Amino acid sequence: MRSPDRRPAELHSVFERSFHEERRALLGWAAGLVALAVTMLAMYPTIRGNQQFSQLFESYPKAFRSMFGISDYTSGPGYLRAEVFSLTAPLLLSIFAILWGSDLVAGEEQRMTIDVLMANPISRSRVVLEKCAALVIGTAIAAGSLWLALLVGARAVHLDVGVAELSAAAFASWLVATVFGTIAMAIGAATGRRGVARGIGALVAVTAYLLSSLAEIVRWLQHLRPISPWYHAIGVDPLANGFQPVHLLVLGGIVIVTVLLAVVSFDRRDLGT
Amino acid sequence: MVLGVTSPAGTKPLTARPGSAVALDRVTKQYRGGGGIEEVSLEVAAGEVFGFLGPNGAGKTTTIRLLLDLIRPDTGHISLFGLDVRRDSVAIRRRVGYLPGDLALYDHLTARELLTHFCHLRGGPPWESVQVLVDRFDLDLDRPIRALSKGNRQKVGLVQALMGQPELLILDEPTSGLDPLVQQQVHAAITEAAEEGRTVFLSSHVLSEVGRVAHRVGLIRQGRVIAVKRVDELRDRSLHLVDVQFVDGPEPAALATIPGVGTVQQRGDAVHLEVTGSLDPLVRQLSRYRLRDLSVREPDLEESFLNLYEAGHALT
Repeated sequence: MRSPDRRPAELHSVFERSFHEERRALLGWAAGLVALAVTMLAMYPTIRGNQQFSQLFESYPKAFRSMFGISDYTSGPGYLRAEVFSLTAPLLLSIFAILWGSDLVAGEEQRMTIDVLMANPISRSRVVLEKCAALVIGTAIAAGSLWLALLVGARAVHLDVGVAELSAAAFASWLVATVFGTIAMAIGAATGRRGVARGIGALVAVTAYLLSSLAEIVRWLQHLRPISPWYHAIGVDPLANGFQPVHLLVLGGIVIVTVLLAVVSFDRRDLGT
Repeated sequence: MVLGVTSPAGTKPLTARPGSAVALDRVTKQYRGGGGIEEVSLEVAAGEVFGFLGPNGAGKTTTIRLLLDLIRPDTGHISLFGLDVRRDSVAIRRRVGYLPGDLALYDHLTARELLTHFCHLRGGPPWESVQVLVDRFDLDLDRPIRALSKGNRQKVGLVQALMGQPELLILDEPTSGLDPLVQQQVHAAITEAAEEGRTVFLSSHVLSEVGRVAHRVGLIRQGRVIAVKRVDELRDRSLHLVDVQFVDGPEPAALATIPGVGTVQQRGDAVHLEVTGSLDPLVRQLSRYRLRDLSVREPDLEESFLNLYEAGHALT
């Protein structure tokens, strides 16, 4: 318990403290994402140009392939799409963001620290906004670690992918995770219940994912795709198409609206009851 | 305002009304699961030490959390320093120090980290002034708060409430769970704050504690304020339970005639007495006899309340 050698942390704001509280978890998630990148890249040399793999996947039903983002598996972008960006990376980032987001505001209430916190002369809106900033930036650090590992690693294993396309995919993964993280945070701010925030945040993410991936194969769902954040992040294939401002703006818009709802609902409630 | 401003006991009357530090006007807050407060009106003058007394669950914490704008009233109006608690919440909290009843702190931080964090959030009382409080309460700053005893956590809570010398201190059961020595330090700090002209709103379920430090006391029960009294008035009516063991004593009936003595019961070789108000007449009488043992106990709050009711005193 006692650690006299530790330098005391100088926490100037709610933002800094929120970050400080999450620092170990963030480090763990970032390390995990880097490990994912390294593992996937390490396997790539055996797959590149491997005709058997191409044939294997081409034998799969088209619906299956599009659902799991498999096309052109042996090429650099095709491999990264199937193994990293079609689900794994954005999903892991979203889980991280939902876990943290659900705890950021609601956790203070459930641990009853909200009383001493709100005894300080800071507005409720500021608390939500600073916590939200921590979430957005923390998720960016996790996504950024993955991006950097892939960028460096791709060169090492001669995986051919454009910097812009790779960056766009990492950026979209970050943004979609931020969407679900802020939704979880907003539910926590509106209810003060971490479990509810976590559950609903996860439910929204999974439902939206199913909608977006099933829409690849179910014709009548296709026009519903744009309501799923996943469609705007990975459905529009940033690894092939690079940055697509319209879709990124949609995601950014969802984040902004969600944060505003969080601010308003937190401001109106009885806290810690 | 129903209760008006009363001068603190033993000081000269407040000639001008300097504006109340705390004012609740017919405030009602009900919870869905029951509990809360009803039609509570209170006014605490600037510079006054106000004791808010009631059994657990009576509505003390609800009232205090309303003052901090943590929860909002169903009806009624609350102002601190004449400012609206909701509209001017941040400006008010610059002038208030608060110790919550169910104190929870950031357990992973050390006391030093927590206190510097709060200094920053408050735009900075200098650390030297915080250090004075830390020394006074003999606080270990460099252990994680989760490793501290309950008493030491409470000290951290007190230091964060007192630091920056706020005009108004709102302390919810500040001494609960503390050993007597620390309780005394807390009482001293409250008295000192009062001497410096600061206002203290203090809740407690222990009458003697409130009696020691407060000028005025509000009694709350089942969500309603049933009496607001000056402490000296209350002391006149307070009940003591006295147990006497005589070596050779009088007939119990003889004790019943002593002023202030109510019920007298013989229990084995001990005599059990209930005394209202001053103990002086009883002690004078007892000094005539040889005693084996004498104990005086202050009844818990419920008994005091009952005594107030039974005495037929008009409340409020």
